[in-house]
Amino acid sequence: MDRLDKIPRILIIDDEEVVLDSCTQILKKGKYKISTAINGESGLQLLNEFQPDLVCVDLKMPGLSGFDVLNKIREIDPNIVSIVITGYSTVSSAIEAMKNGAYDFLPKPFTPDEFRLIIGRGIERRELVLETIALRREKEMMKEHFAAVVSHELKSPLGAVQQNLYLLEDELSEKLNNNQKELIERMKTKINDLINLIHTWLRVISVDVNKLKENFKKISIETVISKAIENFQHQATRNDVGIDTVVTSSTIFILGDEGTLVEAIGNLLGNAIKFSRPGSQIKLFSEVIDDQAVISVNDSGVGISNEDLPYIFEDFFTGEPGLKKEKSSGLGLAITRRIIEAHDGTISVSSELSQGSTFTIKLPIIKT
Amino acid sequence: MTNPKKILIIDDDPDYIAGIKPILERADYTVEVAHNPKEGFNLFQARPFDLLLLDVNMGRGAEGVAVARKIRKNPKYNAIPILIITGIREQLAFLFPHESVQPQFADLDGLLEKPIEPKVLLEKVSTLLKLFEEKKNI
Repeated sequence: MDRLDKIPRILIIDDEEVVLDSCTQILKKGKYKISTAINGESGLQLLNEFQPDLVCVDLKMPGLSGFDVLNKIREIDPNIVSIVITGYSTVSSAIEAMKNGAYDFLPKPFTPDEFRLIIGRGIERRELVLETIALRREKEMMKEHFAAVVSHELKSPLGAVQQNLYLLEDELSEKLNNNQKELIERMKTKINDLINLIHTWLRVISVDVNKLKENFKKISIETVISKAIENFQHQATRNDVGIDTVVTSSTIFILGDEGTLVEAIGNLLGNAIKFSRPGSQIKLFSEVIDDQAVISVNDSGVGISNEDLPYIFEDFFTGEPGLKKEKSSGLGLAITRRIIEAHDGTISVSSELSQGSTFTIKLPIIKT
Repeated sequence: MTNPKKILIIDDDPDYIAGIKPILERADYTVEVAHNPKEGFNLFQARPFDLLLLDVNMGRGAEGVAVARKIRKNPKYNAIPILIITGIREQLAFLFPHESVQPQFADLDGLLEKPIEPKVLLEKVSTLLKLFEEKKNI
């Protein structure tokens, strides 16, 4: 479709052979490739094979009328520029055709110059249309690849810095005093935080709802939950926090993307671990209520204050730090919300300070 | 040390290589370096290596994956362990948005996320080399 660099192709559809011949003759010395059709049907048949940039259509033809042809062309490729050729007495129908998307009209009889002029303008129009399409596509591509590009450009240098720091620490390990070791440790932590922040931030812009939906499959909630727990088990153990799973329904299936759902539930688990006191238990329930899979993550940790509660699903919101004063990007719950909403689900929270929090995800199930 | 194992690193970032090559050399590996996929593949073909450390994104996309595929297709050296090193956790998902990640890397031997702690790197490399050795002896 986009062949700005090639010779423009013009298709002329008219039931009068004289018109076809003379039009071809007029444009012959020009820089166009021309094809002709004696009626609407054969004109439309040529459309796919010839791939015209511009089509001239006689409005009054036996069989398929010029209007029908115009409509069909627009259906097939709305970006083809069409020009209507019409008898002088039917100017009003030419205007009607323009209202329906024709670019211009040319009343019969016309001079070669008039014809060349109108074709020239039509082709200019076509080039403009193609350029606009190309620009739009480029913009979409940029948006799509932005995350990948930024990811590479930001994380690569940071990764290299960190790698060199690792090496330096390794090579100097015997020569460094405790103070110097502490300094290196601090640098490593900062760089690590930065790498993680970029990672999280990129996740926010890369969770493309429409793209996610394209890849939805039938998945089981049990699998999602067990994978999420698997990812966080070591962290829970390290913090001396237990995870209990309470499943009250047989296997629940939903339509969704396993990877992002594991991430969403993992985010909730991670938060629960972060805000839980050592020795306490996190409870993970999954059940079916009113054709919805209801998954909730409950902790008996520090809880969320009433002032903070309305904002916790917003981008970059950070509440009180966790028990170990961990840094938060303020994006985990925002990503989780996006993922759940992409699955036509909801997420809600109830919490009481120093009593704990319960996050509840509801997802539509596949009925069996 | 007799017959030190030979490792090839293919990575487009010289600064990153500077941080990783000495770690391997201090562990008595012989290390060679290529800064782009083409140079890397030629070097790999030219002499026998025992292990390949391969970056994924070398400027334009998933060049590393292409290199790995070419190597895996050739029965002459398709058993040599390939360890993918990538700075971008989510890279695989970005690069193959319509495929699940696993098949792409099914026949690769390991994947580590940059930056890599020296200890982790050396452990992984020695494990892979040992596995390769065992496979050869069977």
